[in-house]
Amino acid sequence: MSSLIQARGLSKKFGSQVALDHVAFDVQPGRIVGLIGPNGAGKTTALRAVLGLTSYEGELRVLGREPFQERAQLMGEASFIADVAVLPAWLSVDHAIEFVGGVHPRFRASRARALLANAGITGRRRMSELSKGMKTMVHLALTMAIDARLLVLDEPTLGLDILARRGFYDALVNDYMDDTRTILITTHQVEEVENLLTDVLFIDQGRIVLDCSMDDIAARYAAVAVADDALAAARAERPFHERPMLGKRILYFERPNLERLAALGQVSTPSVADLFVAKLSRAGSA
Amino acid sequence: MNTYAWLVKREFWENRAIWIIPAAMVVLLTLASLFGTIEATLFDSAARTRSMAGMMFVAFGALFFAPMSIYSYWYLLDCLYTDRRDRSVLFWKSLPISDTATVLSKLFVALVAIPLVYFAAADAASLLAAFVLSVRAHAALGNALWRLDVWLQMQAVWLYVIVTTAIWYLPVTGWLLVISAWARRAVMLWSVLPPLAVILAERLFIGTHSCLSAIGDRLIGYTSAAFSAHASEWADSWSGNQPDAASSGAPSAWRILDPWGFLSSPSTWIGALVGAALIAAAVQLRKRRADQ
Repeated sequence: MSSLIQARGLSKKFGSQVALDHVAFDVQPGRIVGLIGPNGAGKTTALRAVLGLTSYEGELRVLGREPFQERAQLMGEASFIADVAVLPAWLSVDHAIEFVGGVHPRFRASRARALLANAGITGRRRMSELSKGMKTMVHLALTMAIDARLLVLDEPTLGLDILARRGFYDALVNDYMDDTRTILITTHQVEEVENLLTDVLFIDQGRIVLDCSMDDIAARYAAVAVADDALAAARAERPFHERPMLGKRILYFERPNLERLAALGQVSTPSVADLFVAKLSRAGSA
Repeated sequence: MNTYAWLVKREFWENRAIWIIPAAMVVLLTLASLFGTIEATLFDSAARTRSMAGMMFVAFGALFFAPMSIYSYWYLLDCLYTDRRDRSVLFWKSLPISDTATVLSKLFVALVAIPLVYFAAADAASLLAAFVLSVRAHAALGNALWRLDVWLQMQAVWLYVIVTTAIWYLPVTGWLLVISAWARRAVMLWSVLPPLAVILAERLFIGTHSCLSAIGDRLIGYTSAAFSAHASEWADSWSGNQPDAASSGAPSAWRILDPWGFLSSPSTWIGALVGAALIAAAVQLRKRRADQ
């Protein structure tokens, strides 16, 4: 199966600052991939490169195209919502639908209108009259009405209240996602997307520090809650991170020997958020 | 409708001033001709009365041309800047529209759409005023303002001016688009300061002023490039100072246009090439400057 996104040696510098340092990764069709990293890690730069918004060094193919040179063609098959993107204040909801319908062959206006009707947003209003959350809903509706092979979401629910966020992700999974689509998503609310991701990419200081499917996380990583008396024995198993938790310590292991660990404490699969913290703390201390 | 048509439509949604300013001027000028005082001394000679139509059409044209120039300057500086400032550029870039198409659509609006709107408004205003004044001062004017030949000449002059200014000022247009695509703030200042700095630096360090004369010739040289030496005669004829034209009653606009001289001047095409290069640079900047 050929990759939808293929990056090899992807690099980007801003002056002397390295934003992406020879990054390599693949995104396969039909997956929902979370690109997760702290601020300034390079995830926005990586997304911008994928979307053709920035030049780069190295090799990058998205839907078989070279994004920076072929952004317009790429956007006929991919769509995105960038964290900072806002719809312009002068644009009315009707005009937005009309315009996107006019320039985008894969846009279905009826679908956008249905999504907006669900959110209680009517057509004549301008963006300047809508709240931040409503504007985001309009943007999401426009994007989800595009029959795109690749959808890139950069902090898509920023500024939405919890009901709207939940509604968005429900719609994304139930109405939008099918096996012809692929989603690449970044968010700070890792817990919120954890259940819908199929793969995670951790990025830190311009490098990929973890590239793993959700299924593999369970096989590759373990968190063990260890009481003080077993701590020395547990540490001998070479955890890569530990943190205190309610009088015990949680130790994180890669490729663990589960039989031995089970004797030392309660073994569980770490959540993406916990694994993220554990992985990046190690990267920070190394 | 193709992508370009949508892009132009979008410009009219965003920049409603494109038609609101000229429409407001039409209303004001019509009100002025309805309620203004008519100076009887204007019609003291038969020759003057005969040249009234031409004077009025020229005056109305000039009235619309000045705000149009100012608005176009502002529009060109704003068009690739405002969506970067309000960050909506990322939304536009999420659509299958190339940066070339975006820049060319704005160029089209500035060079063709805006002038045509003002042209139509000037026509509407002058015809309305001609009608109103003919009714109000019928005794003095008669049908002097209803001059089909003069009106047709003005249409030709307008279209000629639209085409020739578009070509002549292409380097200015290109420069403004570059600044609009590049500057992170203060587009007005950036549009003016670098040329001034270059002129000053040349003067201080080399002692010559070739940049000043190149820029100066471009800015003020349009009339001599596109119009013949008869232009001043023509202007005189409106005031009735020139017996020939006044007696014929129809000073010809054809004689003042100099399309052959304009099109055969190297200066025209050097400017057009510089303008095209600057527009290409604006496209490249638009491609790279997605993020503020």
